[in-house]
Amino acid sequence: MYRGRNRPRGKATEDNQVRGPNSALTQFLKEQGINAESIRQKWLKSRKTEEEQPSDGVKSESQEPTSVPKNTTRGRRRPLGSSSDDDDDDYDDDDGDDDEDGLELDDQSVGESDDEGKEDSETTRFEESKSTTPRLDGNSRLKRYGIDDEDSDEAEYDDNKSSRTVSETPVLEITQEQAEQKLKRSRQQLQQRRRKKKRAAELLDRKTRRISTLQDTCIAQISSNILKVQRNANAGDESISTKIRDTLGGLSTQNMNKLARTLSKNRALDDHTLQLFLRTNLHTLSFHDCSKLSYEGYKQLAIFAPQLSELSLQMCGQLNNEALLYISEKLPKLTSLDLDGPFLINEATWDGFFARMKGRLSAFHVSNTHRFTNSSLESLLRNCGDSLVSLKLSRLDDVSDYSIISKYLKHENLERLALEYPNKEEYITDDVVSAILAGAGRNLKHLDLNGCTALTDTTILNLKDAFAQNEDNISILESLELEELDQISTDAVVLLFSQIQMPELKFCSLKRCLQLEDMALTELFLNKAAQTLVSLVLNSLKELNGECFEAMSCPKLERLDIGFMGCANDKLVKKLGEQNPKLEILEVFGDNLVTGKAHIRSGLTVIGRQSDTL
Amino acid sequence: MSEVILISKNNVEVPISREAASVSPVLRSMLSSPFIEQQQNKIELKDIESHVLQKVAEYLEYHQKYIKVSENEDIPDFEVPTEMSLELLLVADYLNI
Repeated sequence: MYRGRNRPRGKATEDNQVRGPNSALTQFLKEQGINAESIRQKWLKSRKTEEEQPSDGVKSESQEPTSVPKNTTRGRRRPLGSSSDDDDDDYDDDDGDDDEDGLELDDQSVGESDDEGKEDSETTRFEESKSTTPRLDGNSRLKRYGIDDEDSDEAEYDDNKSSRTVSETPVLEITQEQAEQKLKRSRQQLQQRRRKKKRAAELLDRKTRRISTLQDTCIAQISSNILKVQRNANAGDESISTKIRDTLGGLSTQNMNKLARTLSKNRALDDHTLQLFLRTNLHTLSFHDCSKLSYEGYKQLAIFAPQLSELSLQMCGQLNNEALLYISEKLPKLTSLDLDGPFLINEATWDGFFARMKGRLSAFHVSNTHRFTNSSLESLLRNCGDSLVSLKLSRLDDVSDYSIISKYLKHENLERLALEYPNKEEYITDDVVSAILAGAGRNLKHLDLNGCTALTDTTILNLKDAFAQNEDNISILESLELEELDQISTDAVVLLFSQIQMPELKFCSLKRCLQLEDMALTELFLNKAAQTLVSLVLNSLKELNGECFEAMSCPKLERLDIGFMGCANDKLVKKLGEQNPKLEILEVFGDNLVTGKAHIRSGLTVIGRQSDTL
Repeated sequence: MSEVILISKNNVEVPISREAASVSPVLRSMLSSPFIEQQQNKIELKDIESHVLQKVAEYLEYHQKYIKVSENEDIPDFEVPTEMSLELLLVADYLNI
């Protein structure tokens, strides 16, 4: 990247000691010779003006030039300044920021229409008149400022030398045809200049890709068209969203969520692109990145998407109190709400929201907010506890009393329970979880206790007891996540998997359950769960020595993570590929014994080998 | 320079150079061993409408053409028809381009 301070400074500049705000963009434009072109543009326009009023131009040339040079410059500045147009404004602004630009402009005797530039020019002119530095011709000046001679702008500049020289040439000698050609050429160069400016801006934005991705191009197109349609439509026009979708080609409702995911992935979901999702018949909507949605956007969503029953808003930092209440009021069919990062919502609003959602909220997931308090949790459970079938509380810094959950959630309809990463580990203890499991555990389909590091074998045994109430000791658990429970032992897990059959288990994560040994996993692989598992995470189970994999045969397993396991090696990779026919992705990050020589079954992708390079 | 055929929803065949197809990581993977696409030089994209696939092919060729131009050369903007932008966005997302 260009550094202005590294640039050798000319003597004149040093003499002037003029310092001004000097942006990298200005430096870049200068380096690209854009100043010279801007000067040329002005000169062309001034000449055109002079052609239109030849008598005036000749008069000013003949009357003033030789005797009083300074006045000559001033005399020419007036018509030039008046002829500056919008295209040059950007550069004028930049010029005005920079002392060296001021000098350069003055050297070439081109007037500035804006005050800043004029002021700089005036100052420099005064300094220059005091100094004895001889005037440089155009080429020398360009070299002095480090501008490449090969640049077309400079070449053009050289053709004409300087505006001073040309203005002394009889204007009438240039034919109309020549003028048109030059104008055409100048237009092309203007375009080129814009591209260069764009390139400079991209550099400043750390964009290294010169070619935009097709996704970016499409999103830019979509955004600009939404803006265009919005401008042309009346504020109260209800068909605006339909118009937008029709203009852009339309999408089926099935693809709407794909579009939402794509926009989120590209960090392009904002109030404008949100218009695409309004006035649709969507029942389910998931926005994975709402960080650019304003509270007005949320209100619009609440008003214009009344069919929504399930709404997921991740990273919704701009969701405010008013917008949340709007959601509860304007979405009569809403039953499921998943909010990540709603830190603007205060206690009173949570209370009001749950009061409004009383009896109809069946799923509530909240994470990453410090304003969801014990009181808010109590309000949730008091108002909606009877209807809740799915509850997720994750990373809530101000909730310390999880024990109240068991007081309200006693019904057997609870299907999903996720209690993750409490602020302090003692907030979620064996007693808390056991009380919940005793009341509502047997019908759980999803249990997620990630990061509750205070939990011990007691929880596992209580889980076993809860499922033992079912007929034939069968659980209907579909996903079990026990990440980072470093206090649970092999014995407890063996007992759980040996006594409770889990024929529905599809997802299991035992990541960083550091005490688990081979026997625990062997028991899992002997359980009916082995026949249904689709994804298994065994990351960081450092006590395993690999014996458990002898018993492993999971016909439906597609993803397996054996990262940071000392026993993982080339042989194991080969064996896992052979024993699990549907295994597609095997993660081996941190397994330094898995090398490039490992035999990998076709159709299996091994991710994270040290030997693999991009 | 070998050619690859992209096949759209209505079995419309869109020929494209292998280098251009490789701009998309998805197509590149398909064209690498041991997939059948690598042997047949044909990639079926039956979820994509032919006019959209043609535009995609156009972009891939455009990308291939201008990716190696020097810093001083200008790159024209790639034009996306307004009415195709939503559909094209989903396909671009799928192909990771």
